[in-house]
Amino acid sequence: MTASALEFKPESANSLMKEVMERSGQNLTACYQCRRCAAGCPVGEETGFVTPDLLIRMVAFGDREQALNNQLVWKCVSCYTCGTRCPNDIQTARITETIKKMSKEAHLEALNHKVAHFHKSFTDAGLGRGRVNEMAFMTFYEIKNTITEIKKLNFNNIYKELKQQSKLGLSLHKLKRMHFGFQSAKGRKELKRLYKMQDKIRG
Amino acid sequence: MDIAYYPGCSLHASSLLYDVQSRRIFNEIGIYLKEIEDWNCCGAISAGKVDDLLAVAMPARNLGIAESAGFSEMMIPCSACYSRTLVAQKALDEAPALKENINAELSKKIRGKIKVSSILEVLLTAVVSGDLAEKITKKLKGLKPVCYYGCLLTRFPQTVSVPDDVENPQGMEKILKVLGVNAIDWSYKTDCCGASAAINDEETGLKLMASIMGDAVAREANCFVTTCHMCQMNMDAYQERFCKKYDIPQRLPVYFITELIGVAMGLSPGELQIDRHFVESTRLLKELNLV
Ligand code: SF4
Ligand code: SF4
Repeated sequence: MTASALEFKPESANSLMKEVMERSGQNLTACYQCRRCAAGCPVGEETGFVTPDLLIRMVAFGDREQALNNQLVWKCVSCYTCGTRCPNDIQTARITETIKKMSKEAHLEALNHKVAHFHKSFTDAGLGRGRVNEMAFMTFYEIKNTITEIKKLNFNNIYKELKQQSKLGLSLHKLKRMHFGFQSAKGRKELKRLYKMQDKIRG
Repeated sequence: MDIAYYPGCSLHASSLLYDVQSRRIFNEIGIYLKEIEDWNCCGAISAGKVDDLLAVAMPARNLGIAESAGFSEMMIPCSACYSRTLVAQKALDEAPALKENINAELSKKIRGKIKVSSILEVLLTAVVSGDLAEKITKKLKGLKPVCYYGCLLTRFPQTVSVPDDVENPQGMEKILKVLGVNAIDWSYKTDCCGASAAINDEETGLKLMASIMGDAVAREANCFVTTCHMCQMNMDAYQERFCKKYDIPQRLPVYFITELIGVAMGLSPGELQIDRHFVESTRLLKELNLV
């Protein structure tokens, strides 16, 4: 298997490049495809040839469909190795983070719904109470996963997931590392106001 | 010396042992950790993937609290909290309008210049001053650790100034020297354990962890040392699984640097909560006559 050639789409190249560059704060035009990023990417073997350099090329070519729908966006673990080594200071993790948001805005299905649910549940938990309560957060996360799996009729996945997580929970409990107390920050009101304010700015 | 202290959510939950150990050993050295009031979650890695404003605003509020309390330095042991807070501070510095908007809603305003320090930075000042060496009552002979830094402590999505080498950091090695330990050199010290991948993309997570373990075993290390509670949790809690999956017969304790410092200070494993690891971790210390 080889990577399929990208299609150049001049009509969308401009707008896609502009949007990704602005939102990620990364200067994609500086990329000269040296692939130093690819060499160090720990998930590079899992993404079906999509390494940071290729993702940048997809964006530059205006291939919106591929850019928003590829494994690197969902496998990237934000380790920042690529950006630390890039001779042009391009942080691909900022690009994958941006594209995750763009794909959600475009109502595309996440290639790994667990990744999407995890980060959303975590942020909601942190904002909601001001601090993350691990038990509550994991419960919300698993409910979201379960709903997605039910929609896809993957009942076996639900069983596997819950079995795995309860095993981990049980060990944590045995080791006295499970905490049932509830932590919160009163000042979360300030953060919620900021969050709303941004919604207004974005319309 | 008093220093502001931001524990973060995990150090008040499943990684409480790291909080307990940190307070204990810093007390011994004469550095008093003052937990800032009503701190909130920093958003960790997740906020950056969900909402750009929150990723800055969440740590910003904590910076404001610490600054208003008059501190000039804040220590953050959790690598994710440390990274997010440092990066948010930089982002605010570069965007005065954003800072103004955020400040408008905060009761404790950010002024700007508090120093955000990792646990290693603070420990290293005690190495230089000799305060750490003074409290060491036994050398940890026989310990052959690999120092595992992970990614969040060493690499950042923005250019921030950090005191250690990004590709080959030496902070932990320097501290271990004071404890009479020569750490083993290896290739995976700054590699990523996958962080939340263990939960949301298990196959990827287990593979990353197995490569890290594989190199440590090949170098004949008898334990890991880390400062990141996510690396600690992952490499410890999932060790049985990734080792089985990838046919690795060895099992290695994953110590926090604070545990080894505590042992060298003569504190007991119970006091340090070393008995709360997934992989049995007091046995090695007993075998080596360190506890
Ligand atoms: S290292 Fe930087 S310049 Fe080189 S291919 Fe990757 S992103 Fe492009
Ligand atoms: S940040 Fe993402 S894209 Fe960059 S090296 Fe790490 S996993 Fe790969």
